Amino acid sequence: MVRLGKAIALAAFCLAALTGAALAQGQLRFCLRSEPKTFDPLQVEDDASVAIRYLTGGVLVRLNRQTQAVEPGLATSWKISKDSKQITFKLRSGVSFSDGTPFSAEDVAYTVQQLMDPALHSATGDAFRSGAGKVETKIVSPTEISITFPAPVAGLDRQFDQVAILSAHSPKKEMAVLGPFMVADYKPGTTVLLKRNPNYWKTDEQGRKLPYLDSIQLDIQPNRDVEMLRFKRNEIDLINALDSEYFDKLASTSQNVAHDAGPSLDSEQMWFNEVAKAPIPGYKKNWFRSATFRRAVSQAINRNDLARVVFRGHAQPAVGPVSPANKFWFNSKLKPETCSPDAALKALQKEGFHLENGTLKDMQGNEVVFSIITNSGNKYRERMATMIQEDLQKIGIHVNVVTLDFPALIERMTQTFDYEAILLGLTNVGLDPNEQMNVWLSSSENHQWNPAEKTPETPWEAEIDNLMRAQGSAADPKKRKESFDRVQEIAVEQAPFIYLVNRNALSAISTNVQNASPVILVPQTYWNVERLSLK
Amino acid sequence: MLGRTIARHGLTLIATALLGGLLSATLVRLAPGFNTDEAALDPHLSSQSIQALHQARTEQHNILRFYLHSLQGALHGDLGTSISLKQPVRRLLHDRVPLTLRLVGLGLLMGWAAVMALALTAAWLRVMACDLCATVLTGLLICVPAAVLALLSVLWNIPGALAIALIIFPRDYRFTRNLLDKAYSLPHIVTARAKGLSEGRILFWHVVPSAGPQLLALAGVSVSLAIGAAIPVEALCGLAGIGQLAWQAALARDLPLLMNITVLVTLVTLLANSSADVIGHVWRGQQA
Repeated sequence: MVRLGKAIALAAFCLAALTGAALAQGQLRFCLRSEPKTFDPLQVEDDASVAIRYLTGGVLVRLNRQTQAVEPGLATSWKISKDSKQITFKLRSGVSFSDGTPFSAEDVAYTVQQLMDPALHSATGDAFRSGAGKVETKIVSPTEISITFPAPVAGLDRQFDQVAILSAHSPKKEMAVLGPFMVADYKPGTTVLLKRNPNYWKTDEQGRKLPYLDSIQLDIQPNRDVEMLRFKRNEIDLINALDSEYFDKLASTSQNVAHDAGPSLDSEQMWFNEVAKAPIPGYKKNWFRSATFRRAVSQAINRNDLARVVFRGHAQPAVGPVSPANKFWFNSKLKPETCSPDAALKALQKEGFHLENGTLKDMQGNEVVFSIITNSGNKYRERMATMIQEDLQKIGIHVNVVTLDFPALIERMTQTFDYEAILLGLTNVGLDPNEQMNVWLSSSENHQWNPAEKTPETPWEAEIDNLMRAQGSAADPKKRKESFDRVQEIAVEQAPFIYLVNRNALSAISTNVQNASPVILVPQTYWNVERLSLK
Repeated sequence: MLGRTIARHGLTLIATALLGGLLSATLVRLAPGFNTDEAALDPHLSSQSIQALHQARTEQHNILRFYLHSLQGALHGDLGTSISLKQPVRRLLHDRVPLTLRLVGLGLLMGWAAVMALALTAAWLRVMACDLCATVLTGLLICVPAAVLALLSVLWNIPGALAIALIIFPRDYRFTRNLLDKAYSLPHIVTARAKGLSEGRILFWHVVPSAGPQLLALAGVSVSLAIGAAIPVEALCGLAGIGQLAWQAALARDLPLLMNITVLVTLVTLLANSSADVIGHVWRGQQA
């Protein structure tokens, strides 16, 4: 009996070892669409650097991209004070950086101090900056630390998902990491090679060390056509944010490779120029500042057609500022605008507009003509603009479509304000409404339809300001939700942004990759990279 | 005499490179969107961080001051920092020049090998059909834009160097064919052929010395053609060379990077042309 037990134990051990070895082998390959600008996780601003931070950085808490819940990382537990100003983390013990330097509360304090240095101008740090003053850190013990902010920070714990902890003592500085992989080699313009962090703390349910993969090769490949070709040639294993055209091609040729995870957080939207000093005729400013005009334009656009024709069905008509994919924050009372050219025309007629020989004219007899600018080279936006042009023609509005390269478009949008309407997309990485704070606050530079207002120019903008500040300082998620639900309602009523569609999160995953489960949140395909393995 | 020619070429080279740098810097400065930074659209950034981004651009507003400052830095080995890639320009160039040199070098080698093979065959054989085939082939290739050739090389998994070879081949073939044709029509070569001298001997003893200086000048020009072709080839094939860098820098209005690339490309192009001139000069001198 003892012998049999020993034999079973030995067999189980061998099986586990074999499975472990099988899982541990292999190199995952995929493309970064630009050169990473930095390996310093605190200074990350571009997508490529964000990807590397995700793969190499160890964080105190991790937002589970599938459940959208916050899970323990380097912190085993945490507590937020009632006023949302202070967070206390209990840290995991016995953890080391990739170079062997032990991890402690001192490293967390060092990281936070570096991150919140105003001279760093870090986007990650700025997300915590809700009020003037210094951030204080108090090391209670090597495994416990309190961080106190000068003003309440809403969704405080979630924000730490973006903060990769640096070592206070390692001579390797930011190259010493706590994440599943570490940067092993970097060939500028060509590849970044990541190797498994031998000191990574996580294990799977069977007690095997994670990650399973040996290494990840990230090829820098700005050309999407080449990326697609390389995927077809099995030279790469994953593609994130796949175009709908490529998705259909892949889906028709190979089975179980193309994945549609449903509507993402990203939205496509257009807006009118409401800047008082904009160099456009006064009568046009009057149209653009009229909520009735904006709502009528919104009502005349057929969003279903945009989703069906432009995105081949891989998009959903947008409802408002928050995608239905954002499970907690989406205001479920809101429904997508129903396309109704007749209702749009009636609303415009009430406002003094009238149709004359098929052309809409305002009270002064000015023909309703405006131009929509979008970024050149983006075929989806160019097609959407053309379809909007056709839709608005039905109510007598003549639209000119203009494409500009991105820097020229940004200059018009943020500096010269020399535009009438813009069609662009918003990439939402985070779930929390605080991520959109600088879009909604009227004083913000990123309040696109009318940036940097000294005081709110309309009562509804003042109301949004108050609501956004209220949700930003409240600790109770229910109260925050109430405030942000109202913001969403105002955004739909006033239509400063005309939300068009939410693109689906499309991706491609080679059949060689095991345990992949693509989601809508970034990084769609490799959010569970520790558990990915190759056949 | 030779020393004077080299000095003259050297001075022209430096003056043109400096002027080219200034012109490219001025063009970038005047391009729409120069004052903007895409990063400023990040909704996480505070107004202070956005101001800091704008501030980084305002330092380049006075183009003359910027240029003089850049020249001063260049004299000390500092080529500035790329705005879009946040890396020292010197490092970026150092990392990417070898790939472009290899690509352009191989492209030139393959292109010229094809040019010489076809032109010599046509000149030797003097068969109408052969000449016609070559004319049709080069005519077709010259009609295909460089970007299309680059895309085809991506689709068919052909090395980028071959795309460059196909870009320079039709442009150089016609000139080379005419030069060789002219050389083969020279009275002393016609006489040599009539006397039954071997084709190899005619080629190396009579044709090459006669057409050589002009062919060298053409080779010099094809270097600039190949560098120009490297931009779409590298950008579309995803090759991390100077061409791809130039494309990215232009899109991002990256003044320090684009200015340095312009100066570098100007120097290489002029150096190739000047070298061809000087060698041609020496060659002609020896013949005289």
